[in-house]
Amino acid sequence: MSGTGGRQVVDQSVASAFTPRIVAFLCNWCSYAGSDKAGASQLVQPSSVVSIRLMCTGRMDPQFVVKAFDEGADGVLILGCHPGDCHYKEQNYRMIQRHRLFVRLLEAQSIEAERCRLEFVSASEGEKFARVVAETVEIIRKLGPRMAA
Amino acid sequence: MKTGVYWCRCGGIVSDRLDVAAVAQQLGPDAAYFKEVELACSDEGRSFIAQDITSERPDRVVVAACSPREHEGTFRAAAAAAGLNPFLVQLVNVREHVAWVTPDREEATTKALHLVRAASRRVAAQVPLERRMLDVSTDVMVVGAGPAGLRAALTLAEAGRKVVLVERDAIVGGMPLRYEDVFPRMECGPCLLEPLIGELFHGAHAERIEVLLLSEVIGLKGSLGRFTASIRLQPRHVSVSACIGCGECIPVCPVQYPNSFNYGQGERKAIDLVYIGGQPNAPHVDAVRCLRLSGGSDCHACRDACQVEGAIDLDEVERVEERTVGAIVLAVGGALFDVGRLAGLGHGTVPGVVSSLEAERMVASDGPTQGAVPSLPDRPPDVAIVHCVGSLDDRYRPYCSGVCCMSAFKLNRLIAHRAPGATFTHYTRSLAVAGKHEWDLYRQAREDPNTGFVGYGTVDELAVDTSASGRPAVTFRGATHEHDLVVLMGATVPSPGAGDLARILDVPVDRHGFFEEAHGTVDATRSKLRGVYLAGVCAGPMDIGRSMTQGAAAAGAALSALVPGRQLEIEPVRAQVDPARCSGCRSCIGVCPYQAIGWVDPVAEVNPTLCVGCGTCVATCPSGAMTGLNFTDEQIFAEISGILS
Repeated sequence: MSGTGGRQVVDQSVASAFTPRIVAFLCNWCSYAGSDKAGASQLVQPSSVVSIRLMCTGRMDPQFVVKAFDEGADGVLILGCHPGDCHYKEQNYRMIQRHRLFVRLLEAQSIEAERCRLEFVSASEGEKFARVVAETVEIIRKLGPRMAA
Repeated sequence: MKTGVYWCRCGGIVSDRLDVAAVAQQLGPDAAYFKEVELACSDEGRSFIAQDITSERPDRVVVAACSPREHEGTFRAAAAAAGLNPFLVQLVNVREHVAWVTPDREEATTKALHLVRAASRRVAAQVPLERRMLDVSTDVMVVGAGPAGLRAALTLAEAGRKVVLVERDAIVGGMPLRYEDVFPRMECGPCLLEPLIGELFHGAHAERIEVLLLSEVIGLKGSLGRFTASIRLQPRHVSVSACIGCGECIPVCPVQYPNSFNYGQGERKAIDLVYIGGQPNAPHVDAVRCLRLSGGSDCHACRDACQVEGAIDLDEVERVEERTVGAIVLAVGGALFDVGRLAGLGHGTVPGVVSSLEAERMVASDGPTQGAVPSLPDRPPDVAIVHCVGSLDDRYRPYCSGVCCMSAFKLNRLIAHRAPGATFTHYTRSLAVAGKHEWDLYRQAREDPNTGFVGYGTVDELAVDTSASGRPAVTFRGATHEHDLVVLMGATVPSPGAGDLARILDVPVDRHGFFEEAHGTVDATRSKLRGVYLAGVCAGPMDIGRSMTQGAAAAGAALSALVPGRQLEIEPVRAQVDPARCSGCRSCIGVCPYQAIGWVDPVAEVNPTLCVGCGTCVATCPSGAMTGLNFTDEQIFAEISGILS
């Protein structure tokens, strides 16, 4: 299922000026620690990604994604421990299953699947955290503003 | 709602990189007051915040500083000192998440504003949470009286704890009783255990250890601090306290059958000692074999021969008893891979082919052959030792047990010592001889002119058959060599009862069937069920030394988890069911990785001692009946809105 239903053809000049608003949900043990490492390493990141800390991505409720888009987010980024590394045994596998559901729910509302990104960042991957944040901003920037749809 | 914001300048690191005044001004009604602190985590900073909370009396507090991983506890404590519930404080990470990663001053200011506003709205939805305290039992149940269990039980008793030691066998000691010598230092196995067993029954702390033999755990309720275990005690039919250990009852018993202690080598009676020298020194009756207990015969030859009135009670019956303990150490050991599964290697079909454990008893001076190894008349024995039987093989056991090579070189050394001139052929695939003492034993084998090594690729390349002369013969790559004895070094596998015990206790096992550690590297002493600790081979293959060390480690973990006079603190960040909204679908029970959710008909119930607050059940509940305390939907929604408004 491709998420092109609500995609707008955005004028390139508008797109490059567009600063997307992205809400990131980080698990406490791996990804939040990774974000701290990126911070302590002073790795420059786009400021448009703002993080919310959860204890585990297993807590990630579909309603949080819906709420973020309702409130005007252009994208949602979910960051958890790598598969096999979950602090709570295997809850990030449940997140992986749920993510498939999230994107189907979004597509049903004509929101592109790419706007809800799931990635894995360990406590040592400060560099990856900064890179994923930058990549996500680029992905959403190319898609254009969500509300424009 | 009065929300106070404390902004840490972090010595200028944070404040110099963005416009703090603009953040304060744009917060508007989201901050009743906004105060800058030079270094909030310093003694001065914390006492300023505490004093200021006392005078300002805010309903909620936001501290904009660094990562909650670093200082959430610090500022919660400062608030608590000022009489504000610590869960009414929210920390904002404006250092790692803003100042250090956002060079543009305007962007940094905007992001900080979003984060502080989100925290302010979130904290408004937070509610006071209390740490609950529970009274606990500090007694510990140790399951298994082998090296790991003995070390755990003695360590606990030395610390003053009451211990219930549950052992399936009729004697204590476990596997080392069977070993003439143990590697790497070639010490006598029973002798190594002797001081521990002496301490157990007669030491300074012996009265604190209740030893239950011929016993098994058959049920478990409760959780850390208050487990209730049901233990089934099989009748011994011999009173340990009355019996004088004279053995008069044994020769008169008419039933004789292969001795399981020696893996079927030699024979025993239906009333017998497991092992001469075993403790306690009293025989037991095998109810399955005893004519009277199994077949309705009226035989009582043993009772008639007994010198002590009342020492033998053939009418004793099985009983089930309960014990309440705070923690459990599992030390049930393991077993040897069934080497007979590799039919081509001839175990059970070719005379002279034995498993490593059968070889241990064969070479033992108190074993069925008093240490004699088969050989041709007037010739020293020729022994083949096949390594890695069932190991490193996806069809059987994919792992290396890490102890069989050392056992093989130990057997080599023992036999060579017993039978000078004995020759050895090691069929090896991989060698594991790591450790500071291990190398010597291997080097002795390597340098011994009577010992040879043959490398094989897969076990299928080896075939063991009976030669025309009746000896076992190994065929490898077209060449056949006759031996007197072929020893198959099997992998270490979980104990046959481990799966049932895991189900009874609800303790997870790994893909190999060993009890699974909370984390194999950083938390290998704890199981995945809180309050249940692991020691020895039940958690994975290991040698006796490491099993003993793990026994001490597990005891230490249990000692620090439960301290007499100290209550157990229940973490307030956990899940909670609203019984009025629970539809009884039980989805939460299935997803909980900690067995923390039970069923109290007709609704689910969270055990606060077991819940760790991951929140998976909250996201799973279709009725909105499950709340994640301090991570409620309302709080997360408020945070999302705060970021985006």
